[in-house]
Amino acid sequence: MSKLKPEDLAKITEKVKRTMLLREGTGRAKVIVHMGTCGIASGARAIMSALMKEIEERNIKDVILTTSSCAGLCSREPMITVEVQDQPPVKYVDLTPDKAKEIFAKHVLSGEIVKEYALAFGSERVP
Amino acid sequence: MKVYRTNVMLCTCTMCVSVGALAIRKRLEEEIKKQNLEDEIQVILTGSSWLCTRGPTLIVQPDDVVYQFLKEEDIPHLVEEHLLKGRPVKSLMYVHPETLYPIEKLHDVPFYRDQRLIALWNRGIIDPDQIDEYIARDGYKALAKVLKDMTPAEVVQEIADAGLRGRGGAGFPTGRKWEFCRSNPNTPKYLICNADEGDPGAFMDRSIIEADPHSLIEGMLIAAYAIGASKGYVYIRIEYPLAIKRLISATAQAREYGLLGEDIFGSGFDFDIEIFRGAGAFVCGEETSLIHSIEGRPAEPAQKPPFPVQRGVFGKPTVINNVETLTNLPRIINFGAEWFAAIGTEKSKGTKVFSLAGNINNAGLVEVPMGITLRRIVYDIGGGIPNGKEFKAVQTGGPSGGVIPKSLLDLPVDYERLQEAGAIMGSGGLIVMDEDSCMVDIAKYFIEFTKDESCGRCTSCREGLAAMHEILTNICEGRGKEGDIELLEELGEATKEASLCGLGKTAPNPVLSAVRHFRNEYVAHIRDKKCPAKVCKALIEYEVDKDKCTGCTLCARNCPSQAITGGKKKPHSIDRTKCIKCGVCIDVCKFDAILVTTGESP
Amino acid sequence: MTSSGTLEPSNPGSASSQVPSDASPPSPVGAVLVVGAGIAGIQSSLDLADSGFKVYLVENTPAIGGTMAQLDKTFPTNDCAMCIVSPKLVDCGRHPNIELITNAELAELTGTPGNFVVTVKKKPRYVDEDKCTGCGLCMENCPVTKAVYLDQEKVEVKLEPDDLKRMRSIIEEYKDKEGALLPALHDINISYSYLPEHVLRYVSEELDMPLSLVYQIATFYNAFSLKPRGEYTVKVCMGTACYIKGGNRILEAFERALGMKVGNTTEDLTFGLETISCFGCCGQAPVVVVNEDLHGHFRISQIPKLLRSYKEAGNVKTEA
Ligand SMILES: Cc1cc2nc3c(=O)[nH]c(=O)nc-3n(C[C@H](O)[C@H](O)[C@H](O)COP(=O)(O)O)c2cc1C
Ligand code: SF4
Ligand code: SF4
Repeated sequence: MSKLKPEDLAKITEKVKRTMLLREGTGRAKVIVHMGTCGIASGARAIMSALMKEIEERNIKDVILTTSSCAGLCSREPMITVEVQDQPPVKYVDLTPDKAKEIFAKHVLSGEIVKEYALAFGSERVP
Repeated sequence: MKVYRTNVMLCTCTMCVSVGALAIRKRLEEEIKKQNLEDEIQVILTGSSWLCTRGPTLIVQPDDVVYQFLKEEDIPHLVEEHLLKGRPVKSLMYVHPETLYPIEKLHDVPFYRDQRLIALWNRGIIDPDQIDEYIARDGYKALAKVLKDMTPAEVVQEIADAGLRGRGGAGFPTGRKWEFCRSNPNTPKYLICNADEGDPGAFMDRSIIEADPHSLIEGMLIAAYAIGASKGYVYIRIEYPLAIKRLISATAQAREYGLLGEDIFGSGFDFDIEIFRGAGAFVCGEETSLIHSIEGRPAEPAQKPPFPVQRGVFGKPTVINNVETLTNLPRIINFGAEWFAAIGTEKSKGTKVFSLAGNINNAGLVEVPMGITLRRIVYDIGGGIPNGKEFKAVQTGGPSGGVIPKSLLDLPVDYERLQEAGAIMGSGGLIVMDEDSCMVDIAKYFIEFTKDESCGRCTSCREGLAAMHEILTNICEGRGKEGDIELLEELGEATKEASLCGLGKTAPNPVLSAVRHFRNEYVAHIRDKKCPAKVCKALIEYEVDKDKCTGCTLCARNCPSQAITGGKKKPHSIDRTKCIKCGVCIDVCKFDAILVTTGESP
Repeated sequence: MTSSGTLEPSNPGSASSQVPSDASPPSPVGAVLVVGAGIAGIQSSLDLADSGFKVYLVENTPAIGGTMAQLDKTFPTNDCAMCIVSPKLVDCGRHPNIELITNAELAELTGTPGNFVVTVKKKPRYVDEDKCTGCGLCMENCPVTKAVYLDQEKVEVKLEPDDLKRMRSIIEEYKDKEGALLPALHDINISYSYLPEHVLRYVSEELDMPLSLVYQIATFYNAFSLKPRGEYTVKVCMGTACYIKGGNRILEAFERALGMKVGNTTEDLTFGLETISCFGCCGQAPVVVVNEDLHGHFRISQIPKLLRSYKEAGNVKTEA
């Protein structure tokens, strides 16, 4: 590594920003994959991997991906909840990796809710 | 850079390592692999992040959930439940001392909530071995600003305006000290970071370096630029191997990035840091003694003036600053002097890091704004006294400070107010004592420490402390005489008056303040030959509580001098003539059946 | 430097042999030769001379005084060494009964007690001793620096090849730095786990520092030991937090368990026992550290198990 110039600080910051946002627990949007036993059985792991890949490929920095327990609707797993900052959370049900990607592209990145997969708007907040 | 969805921040400070954090790490990594989560979850080793008595601890981010008292066996469950299924494990969380309800979020824990982090800005958030993470938290931004937009004189002025005072003990205004050095035409100049931390009961500086070494490096760079130094030393105790290791690795990374060395940020400013290992002598924390130690001379203090800013290391102007003083600098430059000056009291600005220890629930590192009351530190942040005991006193400033009794609990913490109470701010050790602590014994302990650490140069310090120690020992062993208290006071004042360096000048403080606030206890030792706190060995007796004793024979088997007799399932008793008062029986008894008394009952 | 008294009645001289014949109280007779003008030699000479003997004080170096003048403090009173020795130097030089023979060696000794003949070989000084006032100007003006006196101080310190290799690498690193001694001592301490005397002598030569200074610094700091350390060093923390939680009782228990006082090493060199002023692990108080392993929240009842576990670990290590 050659010597840093003051401008380089910003570049490095950008590079590690995602990690730091993760630590601080703040992000523009949060995607929660429900990973109860039922969720895992019906393929939540695959959803998680697909989303991880999406974030990595698109080099997204400000979206937090996390897990939560069963949301109580085992029959419609796999499920995710998308929380965009200052907006009510949206739950999506009966997902496949492709559907998850689509939601990610449309809702998380462009802010447009994918109505056909959504269960309900503004359901109770899941921590 | 690889993307992870969750970071597990495992605290690997010296304390957590001592209770098995490294085994936890291994298990954690194994379990994560077993659950095929290794591409999703990263384990980060951080410096001291949390409650030091509750280690090993870890924090799961971004969920902000904290776990304490981890054992290896807990890990598989934790990984499966929380990391895989997203269900935080309540049984491993912090429990509120009053409501007994687990608290999930780190920032809701009272210990954490009432703190204000400036020097510990990055604690537990970054991996101390990754310079990039430090940079991402506005790291080295202050340095860039200083080098690009400010003259050294402006930097000095900014720090003076902020009202920053030395955190090493004396509280000398940092801006003033720098100005003396900056305006000195003699070159080269040196900057020394005092990380000797000889106060037995303080661990702030170590924790800062372990958790965030780059803050210190950046602070040193800013200070060096302001005073015009091109070489710096960090004088650090050899007892801190982990801190030394992290600091070495951090300086190497900074050097690689060109943040240490020549022509930093292309500004023409050169600076490099040498790490100097101290060898465990308390007096070496004193400025002139520290300088002699670096020069390879016998580390005895010297007369001041000349002050180090006039003639320091190798006869050149030298600024010595404490670790915490220096780590405050990047934040002051980034957020401005006004922001800093708005925190704290009229004469003491900013925050102070204390190492809270002793008989307290949440021992650990706390950073609080100046002016906060001791009561809030002890009860709100510290979580009160364990085992339902009564609070008795706090000791601040270590062997140079004094005890503050319960009646002064509402004292706001700043330099002047503590001084008035007979204690000092010191470098930040804050030892809490409960009703079971004997004030004579504690005073004796500190005098024993300073007596051993006195360099022996001044007769007053060498002989005065030895004489005080002898009197205190006599009092503790039941040979106290009328007049001893007055003699102690006289000796103490004389020692303070006649000693050369800060060690001798402050060493009598613990005794003087204890005599001032707890005179009754001294009288009880001398006149009644009783130790009310039941600590002084010669004045106590061990006894078996016949009602509680189940006759398990455990104590009898462990007693080193066969002083305990009694058959199986029968109440035991202790033969006072044989008992050597070692305390083993208390330690082993599972039924709290061993009592310590002041020796009244037969 | 030992002193040996010798009567030599045949010696020509002042307080000469006088056979006590009459009944008057016997007064001391004869002359005594004292070899070596260190503090012991000086004191013996003074005592003898005061009681009436003629004393010849022979000294190998050009000046009397020996090693004590180089020491800082003396055991056990911590008195200043110079303060003790310098008045005696003056007394010795002025005493009418003492004759100093410096820069000289004992060449031959014959005869029997009461009747010795001594030959003393005096080395040349190249200075007329009768005229020299000891002003020291020549030393300042001598163009050959350090030539005066240093020669005879130089002692060749021989190290075993293994030691030499270790020490070379340590010395090389610091040799040309200012303040090299402390870092070098640290490295020696890490390498040997204590500071062996022969190594300190070597350091004093290589860094060109008086041995007394090396020792002064080596003994000043708590981190160094001049005695070999055990394989496992048990350090009991005596920080404030540990103390109020019973650190001193733990220390006493270790003393009992190991059968020795703090500051010692067991005979088989397995365990050493030390205290330390603070580990900075106050949150885990009381703390005991064995080598690098920290044991927090320590209890006296854990001691037997702890010692056993290290003993066993040690055995395994030696077998392997
Ligand atoms: C006996 C004695 C011990 C000291 N120990 C320390 C110490 O461990 N750490 C420290 O920073 N300052 C210590 N000091 C204070 C230093 O001498 C000095 O005032 C301080 O490092 C200056 O830095 P500051 O202006 O940033 O506080 C000690 C002073 C004395 C008299
Ligand atoms: S006061 Fe004590 S420690 Fe300080 S110089 Fe004098 S003798 Fe040494
Ligand atoms: S204090 Fe020690 S010696 Fe006394 S009875 Fe208890 S175990 Fe025995």
